[in-house]
Amino acid sequence: MPVLEGKELRIVAFLCNWCSYGGADTAGVARATQPTDLRIIRVPCSGRIDPLFILRALLNGADGVLVSGCHPNDCHYSAGNFYARRRLEVLKQFLPILGIDDRRFEYTWVSASEGARWQQVVTNFTARIHELGPAPRLEDAEPLLEMAEMALKPLRPLGTGQKAPLDELKNAIKARIKDLDVVIGWQKGDDDAHTIPLFMRSEEDVDRLVWGPFNVNNPATYVNELIGSALPLAKKKKIGLVVKGCDSKSVVELLQEKLIDKENIVLFALPCEGTFDMARIDRELGRYLKIDKVEYDEAGVTITADGKEHRFCIADYAQGKCYNCSMPLAKNADESFGDMPQITGTPVTPPELAMLDAMTLEQRFSFWKGEMDRCLRCYACRNACPMCVCRDYCIADTREPHFISQEWSVREKIYFQCIHAMHLAGRCTLCGECQRACPVGIPILALRQQIARVISQLFDNYQCGMDPEATPPLLCYQVNEEHIKQREL
Amino acid sequence: MSTSMKIGYYPGCSAKGSSLDYELSSSEVCRILGIVSSEIDEWNCCGSTPAHAVSTELSAALCTRNLVQATKQGADIVMTPCPSCLSNLRHARERMQNPEFKKRVDELLDEPAPEVLPEATSVMQMIGKLCSAEDIKSHVRQSLAGIRIAPYYGCLMSRPAELMNFGDPENPTLMEELLAACGADSVLDFPLKTECCGASAGIPHRPLTSVNSGRILDVAVKMEADCICVCCPLCQMNLDLRQKQAERQVNAKFGIPVLYYTQLMGLAFGCDPKTLGLNKLIVSADRIVDRIRALNTARKEAQGGNAA
Amino acid sequence: MRIGVFVCHCGSNIAGTVDCKAAAESALSLPDVVYATDLMYSCAEPGQAAIEKAIHDYALTGVVVASCSPRMHEPTFRRTVERAGLNRYMFEMANIREHVSWIGKDKVANTNKACELIAMAVAKLRNDRPLHSQSFDVTKKVLIIGGGIAGIQAALDCADGGIPVILVEREPTIGGKMAKLDKTFPTVDCSACILGPKMVDVAQHPNITLYACSEVEDITGYVGNFDVTIRKKTTYVDWDKCTGCGACTEKCPSKNVPDRFNENVGLTTAINIPFPQAIPKRASINPDYCRKLTTGKCGICAKICPTKAIDYERKDELINVKVGSVIAATGYDLMDWTVYEEYGGGRYPDVITSLQYERLLNASGPTGGHIKRPSDGKEPKRIVFIQCVGSRDKSIGRPLCSGFCCMYTAKQAVLTKDHIPDSQSYVFYMDIRAAGKLYDEFTRRAVEEYGTEYIRGRVSKIYPDGNGQLIVCGSDTLLGQRVEVPCDLVVLAVGINASKGASHLAEKLRISYDQYGFFLEGHPKLRPVETNTAGVFLAGVCQGTKDIPSSVAQGSAAAAKVLSLFARDKLENDPQIAHVNAARCVACGKCIRCCPFGAIREEEFRGQLKAKVIDTVCQGCGLCTATCPQGAIQLSHATDNEILAEVNQLCQF
Repeated sequence: MPVLEGKELRIVAFLCNWCSYGGADTAGVARATQPTDLRIIRVPCSGRIDPLFILRALLNGADGVLVSGCHPNDCHYSAGNFYARRRLEVLKQFLPILGIDDRRFEYTWVSASEGARWQQVVTNFTARIHELGPAPRLEDAEPLLEMAEMALKPLRPLGTGQKAPLDELKNAIKARIKDLDVVIGWQKGDDDAHTIPLFMRSEEDVDRLVWGPFNVNNPATYVNELIGSALPLAKKKKIGLVVKGCDSKSVVELLQEKLIDKENIVLFALPCEGTFDMARIDRELGRYLKIDKVEYDEAGVTITADGKEHRFCIADYAQGKCYNCSMPLAKNADESFGDMPQITGTPVTPPELAMLDAMTLEQRFSFWKGEMDRCLRCYACRNACPMCVCRDYCIADTREPHFISQEWSVREKIYFQCIHAMHLAGRCTLCGECQRACPVGIPILALRQQIARVISQLFDNYQCGMDPEATPPLLCYQVNEEHIKQREL
Repeated sequence: MSTSMKIGYYPGCSAKGSSLDYELSSSEVCRILGIVSSEIDEWNCCGSTPAHAVSTELSAALCTRNLVQATKQGADIVMTPCPSCLSNLRHARERMQNPEFKKRVDELLDEPAPEVLPEATSVMQMIGKLCSAEDIKSHVRQSLAGIRIAPYYGCLMSRPAELMNFGDPENPTLMEELLAACGADSVLDFPLKTECCGASAGIPHRPLTSVNSGRILDVAVKMEADCICVCCPLCQMNLDLRQKQAERQVNAKFGIPVLYYTQLMGLAFGCDPKTLGLNKLIVSADRIVDRIRALNTARKEAQGGNAA
Repeated sequence: MRIGVFVCHCGSNIAGTVDCKAAAESALSLPDVVYATDLMYSCAEPGQAAIEKAIHDYALTGVVVASCSPRMHEPTFRRTVERAGLNRYMFEMANIREHVSWIGKDKVANTNKACELIAMAVAKLRNDRPLHSQSFDVTKKVLIIGGGIAGIQAALDCADGGIPVILVEREPTIGGKMAKLDKTFPTVDCSACILGPKMVDVAQHPNITLYACSEVEDITGYVGNFDVTIRKKTTYVDWDKCTGCGACTEKCPSKNVPDRFNENVGLTTAINIPFPQAIPKRASINPDYCRKLTTGKCGICAKICPTKAIDYERKDELINVKVGSVIAATGYDLMDWTVYEEYGGGRYPDVITSLQYERLLNASGPTGGHIKRPSDGKEPKRIVFIQCVGSRDKSIGRPLCSGFCCMYTAKQAVLTKDHIPDSQSYVFYMDIRAAGKLYDEFTRRAVEEYGTEYIRGRVSKIYPDGNGQLIVCGSDTLLGQRVEVPCDLVVLAVGINASKGASHLAEKLRISYDQYGFFLEGHPKLRPVETNTAGVFLAGVCQGTKDIPSSVAQGSAAAAKVLSLFARDKLENDPQIAHVNAARCVACGKCIRCCPFGAIREEEFRGQLKAKVIDTVCQGCGLCTATCPQGAIQLSHATDNEILAEVNQLCQF
């Protein structure tokens, strides 16, 4: 049934059964006149509301979404609304990066006795949505393509890592490998300008370990499959992992979420001097038959492909995350060699995010329409993600629950990215593997960067993957949230 | 005491006439406390009660002009001793935030007013804001200890509450705090401190003013106050100049001096009574001046005695 | 699926602004809907019969009723469909009354909205699954919180019905506010004389365990099986030994202790028994004033006590009890009237509250029943009563009427004349609310027989005139003029709030409360005793303003609710709880971390760890479902698919 054309807008409300649904009833009993646009979905508790419901509604054309629950401290289930407040605030601040006006979503608290307040909330919210007008539709958006300027000023000198004490590390691995089922690192790939993961089971394997700016993969991606909580208890292994500083954050996060046990994993660390953004390198190299040689110096590499020399300075061709890196050497490694470089300055907005920040809402909406159009739904982003621990049970692959359909549309493709981003809220260490793995080069890391930024702003500069003892911010709450400033309705 | 804030001073009409002593004493107190302000050039009457009784736009235009003048001089804030002026200035600033209203007022002005007008505040609030009790204490030469003071704010200083922002509208306490900083230890809990004195009804309906003022004077006298301390020129006039009228109305004898709080502070700071305009009072405050002196001398001697 | 849709007219309540016939017809186009009709009153017997008949005639497997709020009639219709052989959860409601017909007059928009709400209900119903309850045992014991008249009545009725009662009272004695009153309106009989015997009954009843000086620390569990922790605050006196002889109170040297029982109008000793008829009649020490406890020197009471009951080292005790039901009867407190600076803000000793005046009137009060004003002990001759202090006053955010002030003010005026025949009372009032049996007659007597002068208007100022009198300035709105009444004593009829700490208790009980702290009843008219938490009932003023007869009635009503709950040996759980699909669970433990009830634990399942919901502990909030990234844990009847179906029905690009 269509909304009354030109008169009503599509406004969806999620109300908790105990307070706000009762408040709406109280308003009805008092014959408190309200605009007719609002449609109410009754849920037991505001804590029951998955932010993905709201994203589903907004992507499916809702012009506004309202959530209302019990006032803080009054939750029928004692704490549901406290969790909801954190999750909904994160969602609200996430929306603008998609190009969705965050005023289209609001959450508030109305008790069962506050009929008059409910009337006011509905009236004000409906008025706000009418002021904003109908929500932009993906169908109508003009695709926009734009590339971010990736190079930034690094927080420490970047280099090629050829002076790292690799031999000492190899000896350390050899000394412990008999106690471990496998140690994961990197080895030369098809050619000298690429690496692939190395699974070391013997001392000979260890000799194939390489170290340098081509070690882009995050070996932590394999950890969950080998020792994760979902494994049968008997099948858990003991593994070793050679990590860059950034890779170690993923391990810390897995430890923090108690998805792996510390006793099952040994970390080997060297100081990283930066890794290459392989997408840009490969673009520069173009099509070639053979890499003749790769020569290292302190500032970069010279790749000779089909006889033609290509010079890549690490300061120009590093991954976006490397410029902002303030932890090149893992802090919590069991075996660590080399020194932690001096860090000067503080991280700046990552380039992908900075590009989106500079856009208007409309441009962002168009940007995602343009970018996501070429998504293949291959799920490489998910499979490369070290925090995607659901694996075979990803909700993108099931009808129970049926969050996402198999329809070939930009809407569903964006929705999957939203699911991934939401499931990573408070967990993503910004390792960038999702974006690196994307075969069509969509800057999807920006969505995770926005989530990480919001989490950090809302929860006392919380950084994921730093402290295995910390509680993930979305799995806890504070009665008085210092940084969540709710808006009046 | 130092501030980077530039203060525009708006005296109001009575400061140049009936309450010259208020202006003298408040400028003296401000000088001592280091509160620097500059009088607004070519200021005009705030419109007082008659203007807004006839037209709020007219009242707002008069006040807006003063605020604009202050802005032109580079003032960040406007300060006035008179609660009635303050009320009008604040009302004008508040109303000018309504675009419709502003449009009507702009028509009355030579040129449209800027979107943002400076805030207005009272001398009392400015002292309270800029000077700590310690600051004030450091200037006290003669403590007000032992003087029974009935603090009287009048009805305008604290009302309407949301506009004047002066603590509890029924029980403001800033004046007591300032006096306490000057050593006053016998400030009375004066129950009528925010009652109306009769205000401008003194002209059209004199008995009303006499009844209202009479009650205030009566309770103050019964509470054995040595003096009444005021902060409004009109209150001062009704309680002091018209004290005889009030006496006739309620059939009693009062003879109680009515001083501005700035005069009392000035006395505490050791200023010459004449520079504070005490000679302008109708009911002489000489015995207050003498009593302050006597009490201080006695205390000093007692202390000296102890030391010896 | 075969779905039937029934659109209720509710007389003209819905049909007045919604085209119910058109709404029913539109439902026929929805998938799986095989039958749709409109009914005049679907909740009435013919309406329910029509639904049952349609279920049989059309072999329906699911039913949607579009009518009032599900908070109102969902249980009714669930029983209806169950009678016709369907599972009660194969039923959905569309709220087209409270959320549609009553809040808008535009019939076209309303009808369209009703059609959409029906479509949403159908979409959800198509995802519903039959659910089945499990039965569990009931602990047939009740916790009653608050020993005022409502709690006492509830306790006695439950106990007489054979149910063991745990009665928890915060103060050292039960009796509540009623114990402080002198006489009660409209019969002017002695409060202590009618309350006293009931208090004694509580003390003597074999089924009642009384914990005075105690508070509920924590409550967990659910209807039938609550686990309660009671904190028995130390009184520094072993109450098992104390006989209430009062020897200690006579000898206690700390005699300037504000007397809480006397509303601080009098003084008492650091060790005291609140009043002669106190139950339990036991002494307790006020640690803030006890010399032994503050300075370490004294110990007279311990020396003098014939049973050696005094123990200065005594600590709080925690007591755990299991109960099946809870009655909250926590009563009220006066609001903080000192916000009224125009009444002196508490600075004038002769401006007192009506409850303080009650103690001045009372023969067991600090003045022995002689009215003496606090400032100088003089007998007041002119007394002004001001009603609605903190009631019906939007300027301080309290629009509520406190309900009983009109009556007790009239009573106090009458009693004043009885105590001091040459006195004159004045009452400033807004309206006289005397809607009770013999109430209006009583207020008339106060005016006509006792000469109380009633002045209709508010008081703007009270001030001491300096001669020992107070001047009350106000307006007489009937004469249209200002009035000034010189008087000796002012008595304020101060408005009430729920008892201090009521909101904290509500949070422990998981019930709602309003801005004054009053607990929210299940339905303002039809469920005035129940709350939205099963097994928790309300009695007395904690639910809203009430006088004594109403409090007693609600106490009895709450007891009846408990007795009927306990009439069954087994209760059935609500099957709307979370379930884990073990195949999808990756044992990430997020649900376990955030469950507010600790209802999920990790269990080994075929060699792998999996989350497992403890059925009887789960309360059905669904926080786990919103947290689980795999969607492995689903809240029955509010599953992801059910909610997504509603979202997708509403938002189709």
